[in-house]
Amino acid sequence: MLTWFIYDVTSNKVRNKIIKDAKGYGFYRVQKSVFLGEADKSDVDALKEYCSEIIDHSTDSVYVFPVCEECFSKARFVGQAFNKELVCDELKSFII
Amino acid sequence: MELTITTYGSYLHVKDGCFEVKVDETKAQFSVKKISSIHIATKASLSTDAIKLALDNNIDIVFLDDYKGAYARVWFPKIGSTVKIRRRQLEISDKKEGFDLSKEWMLIKIDNQVSFLRELGYKRPAKELYFKDSIAYILELRKSIDLLIFDENIIPSIMGYEGNISKKYFEVLSMIMPKGFEFNGRSRQPALDKFNCMLNYSYSVIYSMVEKACIIAGLDPYIGFVHADNYNKKSLVFDIIELFRVYADIPVTHLCTCKRMNVDCFEQLDGGGVILNKQGKKELLVQFYNHLDEKIRHRNRQVSRKTAIQLECHHVAQTILNG
Repeated sequence: MLTWFIYDVTSNKVRNKIIKDAKGYGFYRVQKSVFLGEADKSDVDALKEYCSEIIDHSTDSVYVFPVCEECFSKARFVGQAFNKELVCDELKSFII
Repeated sequence: MELTITTYGSYLHVKDGCFEVKVDETKAQFSVKKISSIHIATKASLSTDAIKLALDNNIDIVFLDDYKGAYARVWFPKIGSTVKIRRRQLEISDKKEGFDLSKEWMLIKIDNQVSFLRELGYKRPAKELYFKDSIAYILELRKSIDLLIFDENIIPSIMGYEGNISKKYFEVLSMIMPKGFEFNGRSRQPALDKFNCMLNYSYSVIYSMVEKACIIAGLDPYIGFVHADNYNKKSLVFDIIELFRVYADIPVTHLCTCKRMNVDCFEQLDGGGVILNKQGKKELLVQFYNHLDEKIRHRNRQVSRKTAIQLECHHVAQTILNG
């Protein structure tokens, strides 16, 4: 399921932990505080639970938006766009 | 996703629980969840952490060179399943059951070749007669294999028929090649022409996939039924790969006939022979992996070609185990 993962976290330490976790679940960093990736529902839930445990609920916020393929195809991007094929898991080989 | 490293001097290591490939100042990170295998096709370095992370997640690391294909792999120091399969494999290797399996594989291989030739012939109505004759010749030999009855010295005759069929098959492929891509029979280490060079490279990738699939299914790669035993020869991998060679033939033929590969993709060797350079590998692998990921019908299931390789190995293991 393609999912947007967006956060606003004050503490550097907590933020780095969240970034590390999101990358591990296969999310790609598309902006400073925005991740996007194709992930299992269980992984998304686990990430959400982890964030819920460590963030400061009075100042920080984390949003998780699943997005269906049809809706995503209607999305428009301007400027420095990310590698859409890579993020959507459509790339079968990555050659460096 | 298959990660292939072709840039000289790359460094593969672990950062934040992900693989990170560093090339000079640029870095790329990959989650273990997204990678199915890592192929290193150049001079690169990697950390032991990366090896551990790969193996913890069932990702194999394969090292490829320009001539021989896969020359090493990092994989578990243990067998994938019960040793009973290996015991049975030895038992049936020179019995009728082994012969039946090898005959079945050969027939499937020939069917694959014939259907590919039919498809090519369909698009070339001008050469219809030539294709028809070649296919008829191959089918005639196929019939001979089908009629073979088991005795102890039968394997060389299967190989003989198979050799003749392959010769004809490549003759037809050579005929449809555009200028610059013609070839005269198969050549290896090094390939003498562009077609063979691309084919060898793709075969070596399939070869490593089949080997991995065999180990996961619990089959011993060294105990084959058709190919003869030899020092360190993975005969079973050579046997099973026959079923899947067409997965490489199709994309390579299309790349050549569509003229997608140009002169910049190859390097001529001093002593004669051709190898793919970095750009060539990239062109070939992108097309090849896309082809492997296409869904096909395999034993009444809709799966990608890559998955079909694994499923077939499990099927072979089950057949051997149940007798």
